[in-house]
Amino acid sequence: MAATERPSYRLVGQRIPYVEGPLKVTGRAEYTDDIRRPGMLVARLLRSPWPHARLRSIDTSVARALPGVFAVLTGEKYPTPFGVLPITHDETAIAVGKARYNGDIIAAVAAKDEVTAEAALALIHVEVDPLPEYSDPRMGLSRVEEPIHARSLNGTNIQKEVVQHFGDVDAAFAQAAESIRVRGTFAGVTHAFTEPLATIAEATPDGRLTVWSATQVPHYLHRSLSEVLGIPMHRIRVIKPEVGGGFGGKSDPLPHEIVCAALSIETGRPVKLLVDREDVFYTNHGRHPTQNDVRIAVDAHGRILAYDIEALIDGGAWSSFGTVTTYYNGVLSMGPYRVPNFRYKGRRVYTNRPPSGAMRAHGGTNIRYSVELALDMLAEKLRIDPFDLRVRNALPPNSTTINEFRITSTSFLKCLAAAREKSGWDSKFGHLPYGKGIGLGCGFYISGSNSPIHFTPKMPQSTVHLKVDMDGGIAVHSMQADIGQGSNTLLAVIVAEVLGVDLERVHVQRVDTDVSPVDLGSYSSRVTFMMGNAARAAAEQLRTPLLVAAGELLGQPVESLEVAHERIQVRGEPGTGVSFMDALHKAMEQVGALTASGSYNTTPKGGTFKGARAGTAPAYSFAAYVATVDVDVETGEYHVEKIWAAFDCGRALNRLAVEGQIEGSIHMGLGQVMGESMNYRGARLFNASLLEYKIPTPEQMPEVEILLVGDDDPEGPFGAKEAGEGPLIATLPAVGNALYDAIGVRFTELPITPDRVLRGLDLRKKEGRPWKGS
Amino acid sequence: MSSPDLLRFQLNGHPVETPCEASRILLDLLREDLLLTGTKRGCDLGTCGCCTVLLDGRPTLSCLSLARLAEGHEVTTIEGLSPPQGLSPVQQAFVQHGATQCGFCTPGFVVTATALLRENPRPTHDEVVRAISGNLCRCTGYTKIIEAIEAVARGEA
Amino acid sequence: MHLDPFELHRPTSLDATVQLAGELAGRFDYLAGGTDLLPNYKMHINLRPHLIALDSVPELHGHSLGHLGAMERLADLERDAALRDAFPVLADALGEVATPLVRASGTVGGNLLVETRCFFFNQSYFWRASLGFCLKADGDRCHVVPQKERCYATFSGDLAPALLALDAEVEVAGPSGRRRMPLGALYDAGGDGIRRTKLDPGDVVVAVHLAERSRGLQGRYKKLRVRPSYDFPELGVAVAGRWDKDGRVDRLRLAMGGAESYPRRFDELTDALAGEKLSEERVRTLGEDIARLVRPVHNTFLLPDYRRRMVSVYVRRAIAEAREGRAG
Repeated sequence: MAATERPSYRLVGQRIPYVEGPLKVTGRAEYTDDIRRPGMLVARLLRSPWPHARLRSIDTSVARALPGVFAVLTGEKYPTPFGVLPITHDETAIAVGKARYNGDIIAAVAAKDEVTAEAALALIHVEVDPLPEYSDPRMGLSRVEEPIHARSLNGTNIQKEVVQHFGDVDAAFAQAAESIRVRGTFAGVTHAFTEPLATIAEATPDGRLTVWSATQVPHYLHRSLSEVLGIPMHRIRVIKPEVGGGFGGKSDPLPHEIVCAALSIETGRPVKLLVDREDVFYTNHGRHPTQNDVRIAVDAHGRILAYDIEALIDGGAWSSFGTVTTYYNGVLSMGPYRVPNFRYKGRRVYTNRPPSGAMRAHGGTNIRYSVELALDMLAEKLRIDPFDLRVRNALPPNSTTINEFRITSTSFLKCLAAAREKSGWDSKFGHLPYGKGIGLGCGFYISGSNSPIHFTPKMPQSTVHLKVDMDGGIAVHSMQADIGQGSNTLLAVIVAEVLGVDLERVHVQRVDTDVSPVDLGSYSSRVTFMMGNAARAAAEQLRTPLLVAAGELLGQPVESLEVAHERIQVRGEPGTGVSFMDALHKAMEQVGALTASGSYNTTPKGGTFKGARAGTAPAYSFAAYVATVDVDVETGEYHVEKIWAAFDCGRALNRLAVEGQIEGSIHMGLGQVMGESMNYRGARLFNASLLEYKIPTPEQMPEVEILLVGDDDPEGPFGAKEAGEGPLIATLPAVGNALYDAIGVRFTELPITPDRVLRGLDLRKKEGRPWKGS
Repeated sequence: MSSPDLLRFQLNGHPVETPCEASRILLDLLREDLLLTGTKRGCDLGTCGCCTVLLDGRPTLSCLSLARLAEGHEVTTIEGLSPPQGLSPVQQAFVQHGATQCGFCTPGFVVTATALLRENPRPTHDEVVRAISGNLCRCTGYTKIIEAIEAVARGEA
Repeated sequence: MHLDPFELHRPTSLDATVQLAGELAGRFDYLAGGTDLLPNYKMHINLRPHLIALDSVPELHGHSLGHLGAMERLADLERDAALRDAFPVLADALGEVATPLVRASGTVGGNLLVETRCFFFNQSYFWRASLGFCLKADGDRCHVVPQKERCYATFSGDLAPALLALDAEVEVAGPSGRRRMPLGALYDAGGDGIRRTKLDPGDVVVAVHLAERSRGLQGRYKKLRVRPSYDFPELGVAVAGRWDKDGRVDRLRLAMGGAESYPRRFDELTDALAGEKLSEERVRTLGEDIARLVRPVHNTFLLPDYRRRMVSVYVRRAIAEAREGRAG
């Protein structure tokens, strides 16, 4: 867009407060647990105390007989497996046959109140045969005595193996001027959204089932409920109330949601199931504990010749998004740099631990950390500035990666330039006193997964419906899920922009599968791009009859008219025209309320080899972050002082929301670096609480300077790309590389806790290699 | 156990009378018995601040308060800090500055921030950070929350 | 999350409290601020059928420069500028407890008597039933130090080290009347870790008393924790003393919490420093000597080796900052 002037808009690109803001700040926004249904029962889940056990018998007779208990369910009632990915349906609503982790659901109760439900749980008698516990994914690579899932590979615990080779990696390493190897070890982390999981289900005598749930994926929940309960989808209605954060932790259909619905069917009463905070940790579906082994070869100028990557991924007890995770941990390394030769072997292994799944910047975070550290190490070896090394390797716009990702827009070079300049990099890198450091980390992420999870029936990834009646309020229906990221606001902004109306005229309706057309939900950062395009299409369709009506009223041809603020006028003549309302009423004369539909679908992308689709996207976001740190070398504690976050999301449709996503992502990425970790001892989780799971406090947040430098994307709505997950990724390596600049220690194990910092310093001291005059 | 006694206390400026067992937690009483669902349940163990209410004007964790001990005291929830029309200055600032994303932690922050500014109308940056250090947010990174509070302190609300 | 039923008593005088405590001996817990008791009750840890709420007992309220009522809220003490000026080490400690929200309810007595903490103990009923209960609650073995029949849960209060450094006395009321003792005598260091204090059933802590000569002592409390807020101390070092213009210290007091099962002072090492100028070398030796005496176990987030290593660092910094009069 360099040659022509970049268009500016009335609403798009401004700082727009979220439309539900007033309800949220007054406590009036309605989350699932705020909802009450008449005659509602309370559900509680019995969770397995055993990490791996065959369930010999579950006697619920005494529990059933307790006054106030309305139903007790065990797994064999609804044994149909489900899961977010059609190819790995390995979960059941309640465990069937065996329990696979300490926390797996083995029975469920619906009772008149919490006290009774818990008393009933205590009366359920379970007999088990304990099975071997598998908590180290390495052990699962060979045959095991009792595979956690029968479907795993060759009697091992391997859930998925991905092997890819493009070009000739060995030849590239043979001719390389330099190469480096980084082995990264990453503890699992989890979403820890503030609103715990919650579901209400109500089966009614007309044969319908209504489910309210804290979900990011109403559509996938809708499908799974139907599959497992054996009820046609049209008889099930999924409603999404206000959701208090998701980050991927509410992007699977989850067992407790199905159990809640099953209990309502059994009892004929509404049932509420709240998952308490500890159980939210056991539900997990967070970022996988990972070990990666990254080798990079470069030529004498620092140009990348090859990546050779291995990843060992601890999947926990269920598959969830794991097949995708296994691909992403390799293929998402294919940006933001050009990689001419690439080899990847990734394996995801089941363990008897709370299942891992998709968490913000799914699959793109851990590999990015190791690659960025490796590149910095190569820069050091070659005596090239880390920024220069990145510039030399940047993926060009409108190019194709060796594994056939289509790259369209990229402002990565602008990100690098902005971060370098604003941070004062050149005067600081290598020049700060011992203990203080500055570091660069870069990022690359998908703007939505190009392939929908379900391929049948064929349908668009996103559809938006609009309706406007004589009152002039524009109702917007879409199954997209606002989980706090501001997608409702985005929807309203796009519609209001296209139609030229005040934002307050646009009312985004609550997600209700009876009324909302399918959008696949909030995951893989697809909503801005895909829902945004569908919304734009719908609004443009709605605009047509309004223009026609205005043309009739004004006696002007439609082609001469333009939409202005609450008006339709002759192009370039503000004095002319009719009001929006007048045009609307005219347009309605013969047909009544106006409706419109717009949709967006991705076109097939990627190669034809196995797994080619994983990682393809209609666009990608890019990032370059610079972080400064201050290390207390006596205690190993450190503070991240500032992050300059240069981000390419194309055009920021709502600057306020984009800033919020960047700041929030940095906070979450920082958590993974500084202290968040799912602390397991073997198969047992030791810190299932918000006290012991160390989310950073306000004192720990750095100052953040946001640099939005993206050019419009040619296919994104108004030029936009994602900004919901990508902004997290660059945070980790920026801090990791800054710590190296500060104290000369490369940390390849996360989280980087004070004791690990000291251990690194001790090692350096022992090796007799002082750093920066220390 | 005998039937629950009546609990009497001041709630959002009005006297309230409601049956209350000895072991009833204030958060549960507010949300379930009095149907004031603005105060949120995030963890039930005092580790997130979503349940913050004012007890005699002081920001307090309602999930760790016995309801019976509110007898003779004044409880203010987010509902009590919301004017009949429009928004309070703190609420308005939160909306304008994008300080609320998913909104689940927001009532707790609004209560804490309102109490802070009542006691200390011109807090320093560090005082703001300190005052909110018991309220967890997973969406915003706290940045815009602090900006919103500082804007009110500057009189910009 | 509901609590199991209990009977709630709200005595309105100290005498009534002591009487009630005597009647219910062994079957009750005191309820002060609730921020330590109620989470443990919600997790079904060591429940009792009776709670004696202390919020309406007037003799436990009130504070001055000479005494802190057991039911004084930490947030109220934090706000008292005169108190902060008179006792810098106490001001530090008050500000470090948990979060402002916890401090709004938390009390002096509650913090002095905060339940000791351990990974295996501070867990829900489900978690503990899954793994096997421990010595401190419903079980008969310690998961941290398996061979021993003693509880190694860590003392996790911030006020105790600061008040120990100030030579505070604690006043206790019981069936035989009121008595006072040095704060250090309250904790049953030689015990089994389960019985943590020398209080008898029927006793209630009334107040902490601070001597006039403790006013104006320079002091510093330094707390090691993973995050600057929420977290309990994994090491807490309190220092108080008076330095003259030549840099000599008059009677240095150093106390520590967060390292072992009890807070303690190190008079056997610090008494010898009276009148000294405390060179860097001297302070380093002191820190190392103290570190040798301390044996943290792995029942907190940070590893015991790391906590032990931080002892000498924190001792040195606490002394240096106390001497400089650096505020928290």
